Amino acid sequence: MLEIKNLHARIAEDGTEIIRGLNLTVKPGEIAAIMGPNGSGKSTLSYILSGREDYEVTEGDILYNGESILELDPAERAAKGIFLAFQYPVEIPGVATMQFLKVAMNEQRKARGEAELTTPDFIRRVKDAAEKLKIDQAMLRRPLNVGFSGGEKKRAEILQMALLEPKLCVLDETDSGLDIDALKIVADGVNALKSPDRAVIVITHYQRLLDYIVPDSVHVLYKGQIIRSGDKALALELEENGYADIIEEAA
Amino acid sequence: MPAVQETVDQVRRIDIDQYKYGFETVIEVDKAPKGLSEEIIRFISAKKQEPDWMLEWRLDAYRRWLTMEEPTWARVDYPKIDFNDLYYYAAPKKFGGPKSLDEVDPELLKTYEKLGIPLKEQEILAGVEKPRVAVDAVFDSVSVVTTFKEELKKAGVIFMSISEAIREHPDLVRKYLGSVVPASDNFYATLNSAVFTDGSFVFVPKGVRCPMELSTYFRINEKNTGQFERTLIIAEEGAYVSYLEGCTAPQRDENQLHAAVVELVALDDAEIKYSTVQNWFPGDAEGKGGIYNFVTKRGDCRGARSKISWTQVETGSAITWKYPSCILRGDDSRGEFYSIAVSNGHQQIDSGTKMIHLGKNTSSRIISKGISAGKSNNTYRGQVSIHRRAENARNFTNCDSLLIGDKCGAHTVPYIDVKNASAQVEHEATTSKISDDQKFYVMQRGIPEEEAIALIVNGFVKDVIQELPMEFAVEAQKLIGISLEGSVG
Amino acid sequence: MNMQTTNQPIGRMTVAETALVEAFGAQFGELPGNGAVAGTRDRLLDDLKKAGLPTRRIEAWHYTDLKTLLRTVPEAAPVSAIDPLAPLVEGSVVLSVLQGDADDGASADGIEIAHFKDKLADGSAVAGLTALDRDDAIGRINGSFVRDGFAISVPANAELEEPIELQVLHAGGQIHTRFPVSFGAASKATIIERHRSVTDDAALVSSISDIVLEDGAEITWIILQSQGAADTHLGQIRVKLGTNAKLKLFVVNAGGKLVRQELRIDVEGEGADLTLRGVNLLGGEGHTDVTLVLGHNVPHTNSTEIIRSVVFDRASGAFQGMIRVAPDAQKTDAKMACNTLLLSDNGEFSAKPELEIFADDVVCGHGATVADIDRNHLFYMMARGVPENKARAMLVHAFVAEIVEELEDEKLVEALEGVISAWLERHA
Repeated sequence: MLEIKNLHARIAEDGTEIIRGLNLTVKPGEIAAIMGPNGSGKSTLSYILSGREDYEVTEGDILYNGESILELDPAERAAKGIFLAFQYPVEIPGVATMQFLKVAMNEQRKARGEAELTTPDFIRRVKDAAEKLKIDQAMLRRPLNVGFSGGEKKRAEILQMALLEPKLCVLDETDSGLDIDALKIVADGVNALKSPDRAVIVITHYQRLLDYIVPDSVHVLYKGQIIRSGDKALALELEENGYADIIEEAA
Repeated sequence: MPAVQETVDQVRRIDIDQYKYGFETVIEVDKAPKGLSEEIIRFISAKKQEPDWMLEWRLDAYRRWLTMEEPTWARVDYPKIDFNDLYYYAAPKKFGGPKSLDEVDPELLKTYEKLGIPLKEQEILAGVEKPRVAVDAVFDSVSVVTTFKEELKKAGVIFMSISEAIREHPDLVRKYLGSVVPASDNFYATLNSAVFTDGSFVFVPKGVRCPMELSTYFRINEKNTGQFERTLIIAEEGAYVSYLEGCTAPQRDENQLHAAVVELVALDDAEIKYSTVQNWFPGDAEGKGGIYNFVTKRGDCRGARSKISWTQVETGSAITWKYPSCILRGDDSRGEFYSIAVSNGHQQIDSGTKMIHLGKNTSSRIISKGISAGKSNNTYRGQVSIHRRAENARNFTNCDSLLIGDKCGAHTVPYIDVKNASAQVEHEATTSKISDDQKFYVMQRGIPEEEAIALIVNGFVKDVIQELPMEFAVEAQKLIGISLEGSVG
Repeated sequence: MNMQTTNQPIGRMTVAETALVEAFGAQFGELPGNGAVAGTRDRLLDDLKKAGLPTRRIEAWHYTDLKTLLRTVPEAAPVSAIDPLAPLVEGSVVLSVLQGDADDGASADGIEIAHFKDKLADGSAVAGLTALDRDDAIGRINGSFVRDGFAISVPANAELEEPIELQVLHAGGQIHTRFPVSFGAASKATIIERHRSVTDDAALVSSISDIVLEDGAEITWIILQSQGAADTHLGQIRVKLGTNAKLKLFVVNAGGKLVRQELRIDVEGEGADLTLRGVNLLGGEGHTDVTLVLGHNVPHTNSTEIIRSVVFDRASGAFQGMIRVAPDAQKTDAKMACNTLLLSDNGEFSAKPELEIFADDVVCGHGATVADIDRNHLFYMMARGVPENKARAMLVHAFVAEIVEELEDEKLVEALEGVISAWLERHA
């Protein structure tokens, strides 16, 4: 489903290289965890996958279902089914959450040649999804992410993911700032979306989230490269011993 | 916080009427007759043995000045100045041009000693703890001495009085003089162009980092004398220079006029840092006397990636009219303005900056801290202008005002003009009094009110103080404390 | 900031100045008013003639050089039949002024409504025909030429259920209207002052609203200016706020070639509160200037001002906002923000937020930004599949609509959002 080949990327503004020859393959139905110390390039990778223009790919390619997506803008990638759950979702004053959801859902449908949702259909979908994630209706009446607590923002991200039904979900540190109850709700939301034709990339710092979202593969990212891949056991090993050993080994 | 304790001690010792630098030097002087005319300008030019082109430049400016009117847009109020009731040239009599220290009139040396200005190179060399500063000392209309000239010369840096420079480096002066502030720029600048008497000239050649801080010390001593100094600083490609300026005057009942012009030119990759501590006599508690300070300061970031930074601490003068500005002409150039303006008694300050963005990717930053006390008025007036072709220009402005007492005024007048959609301009301003909570907290810890205020004010101005060279920073903090004396209660 | 000084030559009158003087001569005989009014008109025109139209050298007109920008004055057009429009908010009481003449049939329950021309005829309006200061060109022009309008008085304790819409429509020409409105103590009302052109013919419009809020009145006043692309609109609102009075003043500019909206507000009673919100939708070749002079004249008063502007095409805009805190007006809390989205390299915007403060125990501040759409916002929306154009349009709409949403009245919010959406659809 996703194939990243020898990817090199840098910050467009100052040319700092962040991703230095990264290779990664994720198959349909797979849950892949990407772990790594601070500054290893985890968030950058999520931004590059979703097409943020602050980064320049200088070498390599990203293939999604066999096609390069490097030339696509973020909206086109989203319409193809790539979803990023942001680590820090921005507050957008003045844009009503409901209106935004409706536009996003319909624009994606339009891009895929599907019919737009009727208003009752849309409202029903939002209501159902919100209930499952224990999201209060009052929250949906506020402007997008404005005044949401950290936990509310993360839940709202998962709500959007549920509504947009993406094929490739990238969760960037979705566990940060969540207490244990909220973490469970979010994890349940992600697990509910598990399906054979959908892949999930979980970017995280700690193994805690992986107790709830069990990965099929675990990859360690360091200085812009995957330096070790393994299964769930690798995450537990990291939890036990930290990153130092693996980094030393790779060096 | 020893600086604060020192401030308070100083404040206790010095009454508001006792301006620290208010003494007069008794010295024989050589004066031009009172008044302004072409003859006076010829007299000044002749005294300075200037070439013909310089005299013509002055006369052109004078003729133009005659057609101009004094500007009225600033928030300053003063009786009409009789420009014919002033002396335009006054020089110590035993003066024949700047020479070695041994030849300088001992009375003058005493004056600078009293002011705390180090003119003796040996002493400075002996003191290991102090960084070295080269000084150009300007007394009324003339530069009396410039220190460290020889050593600077070895590095290729020219640092001398502008009168000397006109004689010794006429091509350089002619090339740059008036190229940033044209002779016709504004009423006071044009007047200055006609009658300027002395000032400093700095030239830092390509690739040279000036080996020490340069400094000019201005002193107005004579009665009814206008001081019209002219400073020109040029940093060639990749050069760096840091320049300090300090000013004082005796305490007098009459107002004295000071109308200076400062021009800075920074070529590609050059950087000029210009710091001022202005402590002219502000007038007495009743608002009598004090300096009228009408100054045009402008820097031209002519080259790509050049940078000009103005830092000013304004505590003196009865009237301040001053807007150190940057023309950001070169691509990727940067302008900065850091200002503390303290007004007390009957002082009136109208000061700020202009940042004119012409080149691509230019950026500017303005931090202004105004403190008003007594019956003073303190205005920040600034302009940020992003021209049509200035792609990706950035500006950030922050101006805060602090009011101490309910008889003073604090005013903020920013002009923001944007003609390019890629610009990002951000301005914020606040006005408030010293927070009662802060004051209570500090006093509850046993610190008396006056010191508590000094402490809070020092915190308020910290962002600007830290831009000053170290020796100046300490001096500036003391000055601020002294200026605010008597504002409590 | 103009730091140049040259002599201002006292030159000949401009074409527009001459036209104004001639128009006054031609109309003088038929302008309504008793002897005192005629004398005042004469004096105001004389002052205008002496001072000329203001130039950028007059600080208050720094961004709108009326002398240069007002090239001509259109011919006074004959009164043509104009039909009133449906009100902005359904159910409003509509008081229309069509081609400068107030509608005869206008009335509303529980409030006193008079034609301004009658107040001119009996001379009772003369005291209001003033220039507020030596630079008040609008006061002079309107005082010289004003023909009609409505004088409205809302009695104490009255609570008006439905908004009153002052509908000022024209088909080009010279239109000078006036609306003195007083709100009695503890009254509550919503007024919509709507200026609009029904043709493409050029007009010179001047309109002054003098409003007084007695103690405890709570008023929402909306100015919706959508003049034609050839029109000059010189608007002024003079406001006095009494003790504990609350005014929400919304100014929406969505049209006009040369627009000046002056807001002259005096907060004169303790506990008074002003909420000013402005939306400037600037497109085409137009120039729009909103100038606020707000005096906090007594202790314990609050105000907040937010001006949002979007600039397209070759439009230019300016906001001058002066907050003046008088000596002894302690405990003033005043905050002003001016945010602009400059969306065209051919457009321009200038802001001059000014603070003039003579009392120490105050909290005052202002902020101003000029920028493009926030890239983080844009990326977030695009990452959700919203195409760039659509995401931009939504963000621009949100930027201004956010202000409108502060009006709690749903019908009003909907109506104004409709105006904004329609405008953006035409220009974006």
